[in-house]
Amino acid sequence: MELLAQGIASGVLIGGLYALMALGLSLSWGALKIINLAHFSFILLSAYLVYQLTVSYEVDPLLTTIIVVPLFFVVGALMQVLFHLANVDEFKSLIVSFGIFIILQSLMRTIWSADFRRIGSDLNPYETESIFIGNIALPLPQLVAFGAAVLIAAAMSLLLSRSYFGKAVRAVAQDADMARAFGIDSRRVAVILSGLTTAFSALAGVFIAVGQTLFPGLAVSWFGIVFSVVILGGLGHTVGALTAGVTVGVAAGASAVIWGPLAAPLVTFVILIAALLFRPEGLITSRSVA
Amino acid sequence: MRSHRRWSYLAIVTVLALIVAACAGDEGGDTTAPPGTDGPTDTSEPSTETTEPSTETTEPSGEPIRIGGTLALTGFLAATGVIHQAVGEVFVERLNEQGGLLGRPVEWVLLDDESAPDQSAAAYERLITENEVDLVIGPYGTGNITAAMAVAERYGYVFPHHTASLTYAYNYACHFSSWSTGLHPNLTNPNLVYDALESSGTPPETIGFVVNEFPGTMFISYGQDGTDEGGAVAEAVKRGWDVVLDITFPTATTDWAPIAAQIRDADPDFLYIAGLGVDAPNIITAMQAIDYLPAGMFSQWPAPGPLLNTEGADGMMSVTIFEEHPPFTDDPEVVEVAGLINEALAAAGIPYTKVETQAAASWTAWEYLQQAAEGAGSLDQQAMCDWLLENGADTLFHGDIQFFADEQNYYVDLSKVKQIQDGDWWVVYPEEFAAPGRSVIYSP
Repeated sequence: MELLAQGIASGVLIGGLYALMALGLSLSWGALKIINLAHFSFILLSAYLVYQLTVSYEVDPLLTTIIVVPLFFVVGALMQVLFHLANVDEFKSLIVSFGIFIILQSLMRTIWSADFRRIGSDLNPYETESIFIGNIALPLPQLVAFGAAVLIAAAMSLLLSRSYFGKAVRAVAQDADMARAFGIDSRRVAVILSGLTTAFSALAGVFIAVGQTLFPGLAVSWFGIVFSVVILGGLGHTVGALTAGVTVGVAAGASAVIWGPLAAPLVTFVILIAALLFRPEGLITSRSVA
Repeated sequence: MRSHRRWSYLAIVTVLALIVAACAGDEGGDTTAPPGTDGPTDTSEPSTETTEPSTETTEPSGEPIRIGGTLALTGFLAATGVIHQAVGEVFVERLNEQGGLLGRPVEWVLLDDESAPDQSAAAYERLITENEVDLVIGPYGTGNITAAMAVAERYGYVFPHHTASLTYAYNYACHFSSWSTGLHPNLTNPNLVYDALESSGTPPETIGFVVNEFPGTMFISYGQDGTDEGGAVAEAVKRGWDVVLDITFPTATTDWAPIAAQIRDADPDFLYIAGLGVDAPNIITAMQAIDYLPAGMFSQWPAPGPLLNTEGADGMMSVTIFEEHPPFTDDPEVVEVAGLINEALAAAGIPYTKVETQAAASWTAWEYLQQAAEGAGSLDQQAMCDWLLENGADTLFHGDIQFFADEQNYYVDLSKVKQIQDGDWWVVYPEEFAAPGRSVIYSP
């Protein structure tokens, strides 16, 4: 029973990290109609930058957030400007962002080589820290990532539903031409939102760098799980992404301890297929921007 | 209409995600051992590189001898592929400085197989039929080697290769593995480790296994499919040790916490991680996070650098065929070559620059090719093959190697047990190969 409880607790927390990785992609796809495959490279690039800042300047890896998150906001905003200039639509975005993904992967391989990189335990005090509830361990990096995911999901949900900017985003998502006719600067809205989604990927990268070993191929291993979370959560739905992340994490964690780790990916994709068949709009449908 | 289009995209991306996830297969390269049977993870075009002959000391002359091969320069095996690239470049440069091969300069025609067996096979086909290379040298990664070997066999080329793990699958008469694990590493490797544990005087009473689904680690753990030979698990049982945990995990595992929880629940005296690359650091970190570490651990084919940086990894054991310390470095030429490789690896941006299994096996494979040509006195493939089978090879890092035809050209298992002690890797068993002052440290 304790084993199952630990599996579920770990699943909830890793679900937060999945959600953090999926939030930006979900918003980008749902609101901007950009299927941004480069999102995965941004997460990894952010992780590499955190690694480099930490080992070169011996700064606390979590403190690097104040550098990488604003930096990636700017990168995301600039990317959206380029997308506007190139008139990239939903289908083209798949091709263009895949190109960016390949370029960034090559760039990372050139700079950091294909070999493994890991922040040494002397510079990474969080790697093995945990908070215990009874005998159930809650690893600190995942706990903080989960907290960040909850805060961002809630904040974005409020922002999208209560603020003028949120209404503008929803209007642009539903019909950009009509939104422009009503005086909404759709390009400006898109640039800001793109900056935000890329900043979220940078934040996910911080937690990846703190908890994992980095190598250029790592980004590819996230495709399946992150797309599952995005689709399960519903496009453009921040709370949905969090719910889906936790659902996937718990299902995988529980099945891993009950039936063994080989069952985890099977259960994840069975849930995804079931959702596509019976609830293709996502687990939660209210307050979606899409 | 709009909704229909949206769901079309959704379907496309879902399929794309599933394909890429399936292709991801492994969790990265492996800097000690032999991953490799999954598909491509990188779509960049294959590149061609050629190492130009140097003419600093002895001038080789005449038409260059072209040696063709592929390496995983991109894709999930690239972390180790670049080690083989650096070593090969050092070897070819040094060979040309020393007069070339049969008095002729040597060119290495290197293609990127993108870590994909199908790309590897196609590239070898092209190297032999279109580029018309004189000789071939094997790629990196079990799957890629297996695929390329079939092409070499079809054209009758001598096929030296580095670190393929499915020993039983290679029955080509002219394949020559430079990773001397013997034909039955599923028996010899675990028993070597178990003997090392026994040598501590306090062997474990219980043992747990966590096994990567990768074919090579499955072979080591459970033996060849369809035979009753067994592997590490069965050999532990034969010693009377209680197997309290035996789980298999997917190669693309991203959440290690449930595995760590199961290890803690089983609480083995010794944990055998039949994993590769960064499996062991990930498992240790996950175990540390739930405040647990077993008394002793072994990792089959870890990336050596990241493990050294992992809190809690002290005492971790593994297997190796070479480490850069005495008695392996008693020969001054070994020190000289190891120094050249260290520099090349550093220049290539590899963080862990010491010569160990991968680099040593890579160098040895090149030596096989050189000695076969020089021994046969020609580039005739059958003559080279026969010469190696008859004479074996005199290698820098492993001494004399013989190729036993009745053992599918494998020699004996030359593996040694190494252990992390005081922040570095040291060979600790067998005693005659142990670093000065080092021995197995283990107490359950």
